[in-house]
Amino acid sequence: MKIKKNYSYSGYLYILPWILGFLLLQLVPLVNSFWYSFTNFQLLGKAQFLGLDNYKKIFLSDAVFRQSLKVTFYYVLIAVPLKIAFALVIAIILNQNIKGINLFRTLYYIPSILGGSVAISVLWKYLFMNQGVVNNIIGRFGIGAIDWLGDPRLALGTVSLVTIWQFGSSMLLFLAGLKQIPVSLYEAAKIDGAGRMRTFWSITLPELSPIVLFNLIMQMINAFQDFTSAFIITQGGPLKSTYLYGLMLYDQGFKFFKMGYSSALSWILFAIILFFSSLTFGSSQSWVHYGDAK
Amino acid sequence: MKKLLTVLLVALLLTGSLFAAGSKESGAQAGPVTLRVSWWGGDARHNATLKAMEAYTAQNPNVKLEGEYGGWDGYYQKIVTQIAGGTAPDIIQIDQPWLAELASKGDVFAVIDNTMVDLSQFDAKFLEDYCTYNGKLMGLPTGTNVNTFIVDTKLLSDFGIDPNTVWTWENMISEGRKINQKDKSAYFSGATPDIMRFWFEVYIAQLAGAVVDNNKKVAFTEAQGTEAFTYLKRWFDEGIVAPFSQTSLFYQKFQENPTWINGKMATSWDWVSSMDKDIGARKNFETRQYPVMANAVNTGVLMRPSQIFVVNNNSKNKAEAIKLLNYLFTDPVAIEKLGTERGIPSTVIGRSVLAEKGMISQMAEKATNEGIAQAGDPQSVYQMNSEVIQTMQDVIDEFGFGKLTPAQASAKMIKSLEATLASL
Repeated sequence: MKIKKNYSYSGYLYILPWILGFLLLQLVPLVNSFWYSFTNFQLLGKAQFLGLDNYKKIFLSDAVFRQSLKVTFYYVLIAVPLKIAFALVIAIILNQNIKGINLFRTLYYIPSILGGSVAISVLWKYLFMNQGVVNNIIGRFGIGAIDWLGDPRLALGTVSLVTIWQFGSSMLLFLAGLKQIPVSLYEAAKIDGAGRMRTFWSITLPELSPIVLFNLIMQMINAFQDFTSAFIITQGGPLKSTYLYGLMLYDQGFKFFKMGYSSALSWILFAIILFFSSLTFGSSQSWVHYGDAK
Repeated sequence: MKKLLTVLLVALLLTGSLFAAGSKESGAQAGPVTLRVSWWGGDARHNATLKAMEAYTAQNPNVKLEGEYGGWDGYYQKIVTQIAGGTAPDIIQIDQPWLAELASKGDVFAVIDNTMVDLSQFDAKFLEDYCTYNGKLMGLPTGTNVNTFIVDTKLLSDFGIDPNTVWTWENMISEGRKINQKDKSAYFSGATPDIMRFWFEVYIAQLAGAVVDNNKKVAFTEAQGTEAFTYLKRWFDEGIVAPFSQTSLFYQKFQENPTWINGKMATSWDWVSSMDKDIGARKNFETRQYPVMANAVNTGVLMRPSQIFVVNNNSKNKAEAIKLLNYLFTDPVAIEKLGTERGIPSTVIGRSVLAEKGMISQMAEKATNEGIAQAGDPQSVYQMNSEVIQTMQDVIDEFGFGKLTPAQASAKMIKSLEATLASL
């Protein structure tokens, strides 16, 4: 009995740093921000309880909120599927037995190591600005300069490219998944005369579907919360066409110091992410195939 | 395992008491004092400030000074967060519009009076207009900063424009358009969307006195707004200014626009304090006065402190902090080390020391004197509020991208401003 008891102590001791970190750095702010969302807290000075006023204002009269939400949905719809598709295609190519394949794998992963960094965003700005590298190159083919980041219709797409380009971590997961698919399945399909496309749709994709699900959910959550690239490259402009939800949160909280309002906005974002993650999870039963199930 | 738990608990207690002891120590006045000083700027300003601080510690060995400095981006956010969290530095450099914004939210800054600093060194009106909140002096102005209109004289004469032109609203168009007429990639003005907002504010100031007045009300009529936007639309139509699709990427950073850097834009609205940085490697720049319409209510030319130094009201060493400020503002050694890194000094002794040593550049001196001569009324705290600025900017953006006609822009500007002002 005594030994058992000691074991449980030491277990808690091991996870103590995490528990302390979670309680102090995550749970407290979480509860706080929920409370703030019903107040007019302004970072300095005392907060006044407003009831549901912040939420009412957001849903009923905040045009910027609607614009930002629209932009964010477009962004998620563009960036996430394209990123996952890219990651999958490149993973399949990198799964071949080519000489120097490890070098290629590293090269394709590098953009992801750079992460959503400020430097990459600055680079993007210089690539795509009016007199940037991209316009310079297409200019040589006689195409006139395009306002990649200055035209409200194009800017979001250009900013999304940063995200799509950083497909490395999804790709790595796909690559690992591809290695797990039993060779016997492919051999059997070959004997039955299945072509490349047929093999892909009937074996590779179903076998990879758990990883597709994982990538989809992770990337979706990230995309909804994205901030850095749009903040650095366009600051939400032109005409708020790249004004992602994260930028609005930042502006309300740290530019106008309306922490109460900003907290309410972030809880709405939380609800949106929760809804779409649950939806994806719910739908997964019909399309995700677990090889060892049944 | 229990032993380990005990050790851990004891360790926690010990660290707790260490912190407690630490705070007690810094609470004492007599012993060694550590003061934290924060500012934003470039390398030249960092070095000058650090040298002046070194000179102070050499004279006052009981004081240890720690500089916390960096660039402009994110500085305000950092300071406000530090103030809210009770970890703000003892001495803080702030921008003038923040003074009212922050002081309105509580006793954030220490009150300064004549017994602590020789206030006769400063222009009394300057202190009252820009550094005072609710009748209390909250900070000291580092230098005098004014709007100036910088022009590339060579670029102007290359396009057949007299570089000595005295600018009016009309000849900015009739002369200015010559540039874009001859070279489609070149423009008279380097204005980005944020600078177009400044021009709008200048124009409205001359027509109506202000965009938003001290009573928290929109101060111009719809007709006056339409007039201003009609004028500014001609800037786009006549190629005075580049389309927003090319300049919006350089919001608040017009000097990073390659078209500007490569000398294809001739002029800009600017502050004296940042003109050197904005001109960068370009040559042949001179400063000019602003166009002022006949019967102008107010010139719209702004004058304000370059920055303001305030003392954190939560500082444990307020007296020591103010003593350091007094030194930085009035000691000849400090003045010489600081130079004009924060604009032309706002103290009498500061100007005389630097003038004696020949440290004030002719260009800055001319621009400052001409700006002071032309300066209009200070903007109301409401017009400088960051949310009001954003509201103006959003309408300017829509107008600049051609989504609104001048009349629509004016109506929308008034309506949006009223909504924002009501929520402040």
